[in-house]
Amino acid sequence: MDILAIIFMTAGLFFLIVAAIGVVRLPDVFSRSHAVSLTDSLGAFLMLVGIALLEGLSINMLKILVVLILLYILNPVIAHATVRAALRSGLKPWQKETP
Amino acid sequence: MATRSRPISSEFLFLKSMALFVFWILFSASFEWIHLGLGLIFSFAVAWLNSGHSPFVPRFRLWLRIFLYLPWLFYEIIRSSLHLSKLILHPALPIDPHLISVESKLRHHAAVVLLGNSITLTPGTITAEVDRNNLIVHAIDKVSGEEVVSKKIESKIADIFKDEEPDL
Repeated sequence: MDILAIIFMTAGLFFLIVAAIGVVRLPDVFSRSHAVSLTDSLGAFLMLVGIALLEGLSINMLKILVVLILLYILNPVIAHATVRAALRSGLKPWQKETP
Repeated sequence: MATRSRPISSEFLFLKSMALFVFWILFSASFEWIHLGLGLIFSFAVAWLNSGHSPFVPRFRLWLRIFLYLPWLFYEIIRSSLHLSKLILHPALPIDPHLISVESKLRHHAAVVLLGNSITLTPGTITAEVDRNNLIVHAIDKVSGEEVVSKKIESKIADIFKDEEPDL
């Protein structure tokens, strides 16, 4: 069970690191928020599943499950609010230069 | 104050505050009288304050269909996460961000909410603006944008809501 938990957490860490690299490399708010949503949807999910497996069947596992459900409900709302605010304030999305 | 579109049923209020109270017990994990009493008071207060705006009370059948839709959505999330990771780690950074305007044929508030959330939850596409049926979506490259243009998610959601009364 511990090994399985470590596998899950390593996979989660991989996605968290990729998301961090993405935030640095991508050019503007819009594309950076894509990278952030990668953290939310898979990085945090795999980390929390790993922690839940490590914790075993207990009240803490139930709490982690509630955190997961809340995460999946709230994250799209936050990402949408950020991007909509950027769009409404008149920011133009970065575009590839056309040759 | 929020406009009350329908009279509040006291049973619904009671159920809501009991559900909140269960969450309180789960999170506080303490059975002293002061904590339980405070939890009971706050559960009722929150349920009462929120009673004005809950126009969407889905039926069991709808919940079941939404529940069955989630595994498919999760599979899509994993697929596009891997795609986005590949884009980010690619040395040349082959992204092509663009805005897409989509008009959906969904006729329910809840269905449009579900569609917008699903699009945002899938890495690579984010819903930037919603106006009734028109969604503006920001996609990071052509492949991610294709998922929205092809209306794969929308047809699934239309399937979920096909037996409900339209309200949009």
